[in-house]
Amino acid sequence: MEIPYIVEPRKDTGLNNSKIGIWLFLASEVMLFGGLFSGYVFLRIYADYPWPERTLPVLPGLINTFVLIGSSITVVFAWVSLKLRQWRKFQIYMGITIVCAALFMVLKGVEYNAKFHHQAIRMDDYTVIEGHSHKQKNAVGGAHKNLNIKAKSLTVSLSRVDDIYFDVLDEQYSKAGFGLANDVKLTDGTVLEQGTAITKELIDQAKKDFLAALAHNSNINIELGRQAWKTVKSKHPGVKYYELVGDQTLKGLVDEELKKLKKDADFKAETPALNFVSNEEALISVNPYWGRLSNKNRGKAGRLTLKDDTSIIGTIADSSITINVDGIDFRHTITKAEEKGIPKDTAIKNSWLLKSNENMREVWAKHKVVTKKLVEYLEPKGKKPTENDIYRINWQEIAGLADKSIEDIEKLDHKEIEALFPGDIEGFAGPVHKKHGDPDSKGVAYPEVVVPRAQVRFESVFSPRWNTYYATYFTITGLHGLHVIAGALVLAYYLFFGRKMYEEKPEWLANRVEVGGLFWHFVDLVWIFLFPILYLM
Amino acid sequence: MADSPEQIKKHIKLYLLIGGALFVCTVLTVAVAKIEWLDFGSRGFGTADMVIGLLIALFKATLVALIFMHLNHEKKLIYWLFGFGLFFAVCLMLITGLAFSDPVEFEGFFGR
Repeated sequence: MEIPYIVEPRKDTGLNNSKIGIWLFLASEVMLFGGLFSGYVFLRIYADYPWPERTLPVLPGLINTFVLIGSSITVVFAWVSLKLRQWRKFQIYMGITIVCAALFMVLKGVEYNAKFHHQAIRMDDYTVIEGHSHKQKNAVGGAHKNLNIKAKSLTVSLSRVDDIYFDVLDEQYSKAGFGLANDVKLTDGTVLEQGTAITKELIDQAKKDFLAALAHNSNINIELGRQAWKTVKSKHPGVKYYELVGDQTLKGLVDEELKKLKKDADFKAETPALNFVSNEEALISVNPYWGRLSNKNRGKAGRLTLKDDTSIIGTIADSSITINVDGIDFRHTITKAEEKGIPKDTAIKNSWLLKSNENMREVWAKHKVVTKKLVEYLEPKGKKPTENDIYRINWQEIAGLADKSIEDIEKLDHKEIEALFPGDIEGFAGPVHKKHGDPDSKGVAYPEVVVPRAQVRFESVFSPRWNTYYATYFTITGLHGLHVIAGALVLAYYLFFGRKMYEEKPEWLANRVEVGGLFWHFVDLVWIFLFPILYLM
Repeated sequence: MADSPEQIKKHIKLYLLIGGALFVCTVLTVAVAKIEWLDFGSRGFGTADMVIGLLIALFKATLVALIFMHLNHEKKLIYWLFGFGLFFAVCLMLITGLAFSDPVEFEGFFGR
């Protein structure tokens, strides 16, 4: 089918149809991104936690800005070359544009990857620590931060049991030697003997039986209900259910009748749950996103409830998170303390982190010297350090001052201290940690802290889950990244499959490139706002 | 269209110039945020930094829209289409501002 007015303009609009089409689309895109931006503004203004401002690595963002602006220029020149009928130049410019798009996505990937491997913990007293968690010593499967329990017994809820959890925990269950706690008589007469080992087949058999009994019983219930209504209504025709018959409503009579009928009914005994016991306490280790501990105190009796209502009962085992700390943030601690009327310094001094860990006390003592020097430096300029300066310690400071003593730092002034901090290139996408157990590996050995589970209010990697800032960061940059990919695919199509069209209808191809270019400029335009708002503000 | 090869040739210099301006503005935004003697207002991020950063971004966006996207010489219909979308986006931004007048924050809202 021939689409009209692709190259020549329509008389009434003075434009060709493709151009109107793309501008309509761009108008809707403006509203889409406008909505996301206003969502960001709203979340930021009303945030109930200290906003993580200027925490993203600027260098990858800056390079990406250059890359996108550069590609915007080349896409214009690709169009110009087509208009001037220079195919070779068009190929070169369009090629550069697509390489730029790929480079953008690679850098974005590096950035995302660094975030997804960077852990944060909000402590019970709202202190935030950031860093790399490493493997638990005792947890099954060498997990990073599992919930561990020494299990004695286990209850599987047959109505909710989910294979997803069972499949992963199956091995741990059988290793622990879980067997049925008592004989279970199923409705079809089979008896599951006490001590039968826990298997998927066993649970499936019991589940099937339970669901069948449930269906059977509810069918009887419905049937008896109908019967009861029928009998009572035939005795008292024309009476409404709320009207009195003697001293009872009609409904009351029905209930009585139903009770009588149920006595003789053929109900089957349901087995809603299976109980298992193990011979000895066995360690069960579960991903923290799968369940919840009733009690986080190690050594106490407690229960681990999975999302499918499987309940594992025993003694809470060590579920602490070992983390090499590359960032400390007391800003939330002090706001919470102020609400209770506790002085800021007292709150920080009494925070779990400083009370329990020698390394952290040292980092904080160094930071106090750094702040003092900063005040001395800013005073003549009539400026004051910000809350960020005073209550947040970032990875550059911990890395830069790792091998300096407090006396060393005392001798330096603010500028000299800052010179010790690693630059943008060293921490391109974030702090680089030494590999755990490998002292020769590249990176900094950040101080280690073992955080007991009882102190953990919330823990996450830097993913959308961590806070609303990262949620909006990943939403908007992710959507923008998808636009980059889509735009690059369209432009690549013109580059690699455009030759034939160029020879037959060059003006048509030029129009296509112009329209694709308009979209590309829009993607650049969104990034022009995204970069300062997310990276610099 | 009005873009004849002769006119386009004249524009090449302009495109390069605008590209250069965009690069310079980007460096400027980062400098304002990172370099201390360019840190306007109080230390760290503040209202002044926000206004300057957004103004530079707005300037860059205008350059891209006017020159690269040819909005400086476009048919009327395009302005209507794009303006329509922009209008609603701006309205949405302003609507979030209504949150400032949340009645819960009014004195006496809880009957005091």
